[in-house]
Amino acid sequence: MLQDAFLELLNLWVLVAALVGIVAGIIIGAIPGLGPTMAIALLIPVTFTMEPIPAIILLLGVYQGAIFGGSISAVLLNLPGTPSSAATAIDGFAMARRGEGGRALRFALYASVFGNIFSCLVLMALAEPLARFALDFGPAEMAMLMFFALLVIVLFGGGSKLDALIMVLVGTCASIVGLDPISGTPRFTFGTFDFENGFQLIPVLIGLFAMSEVLLQAFNREPLVGDATVPPLQSSAVRLIELWRMRVTLLVSSVIGTFVGILPGIGSTVPAFMSYNLARSRAKDADQFGMGAPEGVAAPEAANNAVTGGALVPTLALGIPGDAVTAVILGAFMLHGLAPGPFLFRDHGLEVYAIFEALLLSSIPTVILGLLFFRVAIHVTRIQPRHLLPAIAILAIFGAFSVNNSLFDVWVMLGAGVLGFLFRRAGFPVPPLLIGLILGAPFEQSLRQALLTSGGGYGIFVGSPITIGLVALIVLSLTISLILGRRKART
Amino acid sequence: MSRHAGGGFDRPGFRLLTTGLLLAAALGAIAVLDQQIEVFGFGDIGPDARSFPRVVLWLLAAVLALRLILNLRSPDTPLGSPVRLGRVLAVLACTAAALWLMPRFGFFIGAAGAGIVVALVLGEKRPLPMILPVLIAAIVAYGGRHGLGIPLP
Repeated sequence: MLQDAFLELLNLWVLVAALVGIVAGIIIGAIPGLGPTMAIALLIPVTFTMEPIPAIILLLGVYQGAIFGGSISAVLLNLPGTPSSAATAIDGFAMARRGEGGRALRFALYASVFGNIFSCLVLMALAEPLARFALDFGPAEMAMLMFFALLVIVLFGGGSKLDALIMVLVGTCASIVGLDPISGTPRFTFGTFDFENGFQLIPVLIGLFAMSEVLLQAFNREPLVGDATVPPLQSSAVRLIELWRMRVTLLVSSVIGTFVGILPGIGSTVPAFMSYNLARSRAKDADQFGMGAPEGVAAPEAANNAVTGGALVPTLALGIPGDAVTAVILGAFMLHGLAPGPFLFRDHGLEVYAIFEALLLSSIPTVILGLLFFRVAIHVTRIQPRHLLPAIAILAIFGAFSVNNSLFDVWVMLGAGVLGFLFRRAGFPVPPLLIGLILGAPFEQSLRQALLTSGGGYGIFVGSPITIGLVALIVLSLTISLILGRRKART
Repeated sequence: MSRHAGGGFDRPGFRLLTTGLLLAAALGAIAVLDQQIEVFGFGDIGPDARSFPRVVLWLLAAVLALRLILNLRSPDTPLGSPVRLGRVLAVLACTAAALWLMPRFGFFIGAAGAGIVVALVLGEKRPLPMILPVLIAAIVAYGGRHGLGIPLP
């Protein structure tokens, strides 16, 4: 299988897709406010006419590139392009101020690649066995699994649990619109056929992440970067021995990133800060952290890149996205006929392994293009919102239309943009809404199928070793969250 | 509204507005639930097409009501000046108008128009950079239609 998958990669279009994706990702990721989620959502229509393998590789290239791109503005301007780069900015910017910006970016790049390779290997090792295990899941097991995923998002997603719960419920309510998954009855369609398909994922995503950004910028009307000056970049290099000295930090950070990434809804910001704090607590010269320690750059970068592979494990094996970006990638997989879930590896194993191998091998062009393009990306951060955002608005309209060639989807995108603007201004987290929207319909379907099977008896949810295990995990999560909450209240 | 240090009430902010709107929508959906979801009983045991929406909507309404109460005790994100909100409404109005006119005038005109208004709202004053949204709309329209085969309006 691995060899056949590798042969699938020996195609010029695959190489072109990977290179274009990485370069686009580095440049887009470097612009503060434009994260990988928006970039991938807007680029999905470009992949419509492509074969599934190059299409997904292009989008994953954007993801990889954008995470490194986010560290460029974090290191050089102290403006994280993505929230997960905030930890990188602490020591990265301190290094840049003393003229070591180039060195900090090289550490960030090499650590990113290390984290990516590690998490890809874990992804290759875990995803298929997990999917094979999930083939034994019946409706009750799937319902409990999805309930657990939604609960983890609420309990450990960071920020207010009440706000996260509201957003999950809003997403779940949105998933109700359309035809009932069991009886086919129209629900909240208000007599129109357009609503019968429900809210499509891609227009909602584009609205929540791209259109809402346009509205936010119209509200704030502030330059993305302001008058911050880029410290001079001296030519510098990172020696192999320096990376070898921080091998434990890189490994531990990659482990944290990968395994936190597997948990749904947590994203890459939490593991980046966890790794940074752990690296500082382990360091002999802990007082150097915050003043420009290379390990302070490497630790969060390894962790936030390792999240990529980790988050793809539940996304591909179970159809449960780990964060907003993997929710977009899940949408892209579905559009290309590769429906994530337990059957993905059985029905499309070749394509999936080709994508895994491409993700692993793309570390090489990421290093080369990262070194080549970070100087270009610095200039991109200077783009004014009034030049950039009209293009985003046009691409948002185009992207939403092109999913089903329907103007109705563009109206949905606009509505989602308004809601996204309100939620982001009000401080409500948007990713839980997205995951509620994705998991809402399959959760209801599994729940009702299970209850139909059991004749309405709730005992089916504790009737097998798998469901009992999942109930135990739910109780454990609630207990841990309670303990953490009490500890936080005390401090 | 949130009570400020002086003892009075601040103007309602984004949190209160968003929570209030969501609560109104949830209660509205509960009110029309039976009309919007028809159930044909065949003697099935277990939940029907209305059960899950009813539980989720009531749960959402309860959680939003709790959020609303908690909002009264905590500082809110200010709504900002009418000018700032006006800019957002201008972008929304022009995008809605562009979508409404698109079937008649086509994607290019609609998208370029929306792009120009967004640029103006974001503070573009020089006429030359206005070409940029027009250029992008032209590339997207041409590329979408001929490159990707998408039947744009």
